[in-house]
Amino acid sequence: MFGYAGNWLEVDLTDHGIQSHPLDLDWVKTVIGGRMMNTWRMYEEMTTGVDPLSPENTVYVGVGPLTGTLLPASAYTTVSARSPLTGLIGDAAAGGHFGPELKFAGFDQVIIRGRSEEPCYLLITDESVEIRPASHLWGKDIRETHLALLKELQDPHVQVAAIGPAGENLVKYATIATNMAGRTFGRTGMGAVWGSKQLKAIAVRGRTPISVADPQRFEAICGELSRRIIEHPEFETRKRVGTTMLVNNLNLLGILPTRHFQEGVCEYAHKINGEILRERYVTKNKACYNCNVHCSRYIITPDGEGEGPEFEPLCSYTSRIGNADLRRALKVIMFMNRYGVDAISSGETIGWAMECIEKGLLNAADFDGIEFRFGNMDAVEHILDLIVRRKGIGDLFAEGTRALAQQYGGGTEKLAMHTKGLEIINGDPRGLKAYGLGYAVASRGACHLRADPFFELTGRRDEAIKRFGTEKAAMPFEEEGKPALVEYSERNCLLLDALTMCKNVGQSMEIMNPDVGAELLQAGTGMTFNSEELSETLAKTRTMERRLNLRFGLDPKDDTLPYRFKEEGLPAGPAAGQIIHVDAMVKEFYRIKGWSAEGVPPPG
Amino acid sequence: MIRVDPELCSGCRRCEVACSSSRFMGMIERLFSRVQVVKVEEIGADVPVICQQCRERYCVDVCPVQALRVGDRGEVLVDIETCTGCDQCEKACPIGAIHLVDQYPLVCDLCGGSPRCVEACTMDALSFEPETSDVVLLTEVDSVLLSEKTTEERAYLYGITMAETLRKAWVTNVATDRDSDR
Repeated sequence: MFGYAGNWLEVDLTDHGIQSHPLDLDWVKTVIGGRMMNTWRMYEEMTTGVDPLSPENTVYVGVGPLTGTLLPASAYTTVSARSPLTGLIGDAAAGGHFGPELKFAGFDQVIIRGRSEEPCYLLITDESVEIRPASHLWGKDIRETHLALLKELQDPHVQVAAIGPAGENLVKYATIATNMAGRTFGRTGMGAVWGSKQLKAIAVRGRTPISVADPQRFEAICGELSRRIIEHPEFETRKRVGTTMLVNNLNLLGILPTRHFQEGVCEYAHKINGEILRERYVTKNKACYNCNVHCSRYIITPDGEGEGPEFEPLCSYTSRIGNADLRRALKVIMFMNRYGVDAISSGETIGWAMECIEKGLLNAADFDGIEFRFGNMDAVEHILDLIVRRKGIGDLFAEGTRALAQQYGGGTEKLAMHTKGLEIINGDPRGLKAYGLGYAVASRGACHLRADPFFELTGRRDEAIKRFGTEKAAMPFEEEGKPALVEYSERNCLLLDALTMCKNVGQSMEIMNPDVGAELLQAGTGMTFNSEELSETLAKTRTMERRLNLRFGLDPKDDTLPYRFKEEGLPAGPAAGQIIHVDAMVKEFYRIKGWSAEGVPPPG
Repeated sequence: MIRVDPELCSGCRRCEVACSSSRFMGMIERLFSRVQVVKVEEIGADVPVICQQCRERYCVDVCPVQALRVGDRGEVLVDIETCTGCDQCEKACPIGAIHLVDQYPLVCDLCGGSPRCVEACTMDALSFEPETSDVVLLTEVDSVLLSEKTTEERAYLYGITMAETLRKAWVTNVATDRDSDR
């Protein structure tokens, strides 16, 4: 077997059934791996919309044929299930070292069904698979769980993915994290699904070598890609500060979410950016398996230590909620990493509450006395503690911003920044039109990683004309050409998710495309791949996702953005006055996809 | 020798991947690699463990059939015809830098002069010093390290020893910064 480990694992936590199956090569060639393989499996298996937190929901853990190989920056793992937060396709991916270790243990996909009567964890090695008791781990945070399992299993090379108390308590945006809480499966509440199954963790360890079909060819392609990464103009910056470089980048574009998207320019960006973070708290670089960018960092502050943070949590707990105190933000982010809460979703519930109070729609009495003022980090710490335990109003906040705002009503819904129930990421779509369209149509709700249409920021007009028929596709304020850009970018990101390659490298640094992907897959697996077929498979998968979401109850009218982005111009800065006409772009996107004007794919 | 600077190591394990892949026809597995990255996750440290061409030469000395010798660049070379796969060299190395795979000892031989691990490391945590060897002394620490039973445990303990020194410096620096700031 080349590329693939060659097996998939099926575990039923209800009756403790464990079965290992050989991978069906004809099937896997059409689904490749990672998120793509998981979603196809979900499409085949979930013929009705099961309750996401019931034993009937299924967890799919997928890696790909090139995970753990020489291909740099390709160590992602995707966890999928129906999302308790959105009711739609749920999935989240994380890098680190878990994915390659799962391959070394001999598996490409793990499917987990049912619900355990007692808290349990799954131990997967190439010698055995066991469901083990985890009552002694229940209640522990993710870092403690990781350490306890390393001690219990007496092997420093074991890799652990675990949930924290938030997942146990079914917080609907609970995360799973690996690498000692350093790398997070962040979005759509996959941690709550594990919690509902009483699955505390998966520990993996393997010693089975990974082979490729044509080592010389494969090494040559990987060598060329590694060289392109290192020669990329952003390489040094990404290596120094990682994704936190975006604080400055977005602020200069006037689209750094500030005071809950009321502004796009943050006057204290210099106090919260990647450079000051590096200077004050970073001790060294960290990296996912076989990555040559090393964009992650290890921080030590007087309040604690750990890997991170990435840009999204950093912005969520600084400018987005009006906080200029970097140290306090880091304290909160470390807490969330360990307790297993998604920073974007939780940050939005808080930003929403702060704006509701500022606008006079609600007051502190509506929140059990918690003073949600912009920048009030005492309130932030207080509510997060309530959220992870689902105590008091934390129980409501744990449902996500859409449900929270519906509960309070009275016009507060308009301020809830989400699409389809998934909270919007940190990048104001008014000054980034392709990203805005991406949030509106992404198959898991307001997500930037489904399309990551970085190209619109490049200003490469000639290339834009060649690829998308208009130079405007490379200009962030323009809307023309953006549906075509998003359609292309979604396919490319799906390819990256199937190969389990990091989007910061594969997409943002333009390392991967279907031509290179097909070559790598062929050299890696020995199966025949070509670029055209691969592109078709990717397009077909995107339409399958749409059908699956419609099955789950998606309303195409929700392919949109919150009111503010469509109606209120940004007040100042380089993007002043910008709004986004997202609904027209969505229609054009449907047309390109071959879906009806109502957003429904043809039967098939 | 290959000089290791754990302060720069990000724990990506590209060295392991490059070593394994280049010497085992594209196959990748930790045990196929002659360099092992010890990840001391609880303190954020990562330490590549690789033959330090120590002055003591525990492995060469212990070999009952003289299958190991020191090459021109200080590297340990294994004569596969003579080696009986007895594993005494593995047991003798205090830092766990030599181990047997299919009864054949794997130890860094500098890839004949252009080490692939060093080439793969984009953090400069590994650097090749062709003129240097026999400078690292392990006698001071060997009794502690050799108390560990398995090769992996010895490598891990060596990694922790290196990491703890590093960490003291980190904590001091960070604390100073903070106080002046606030």
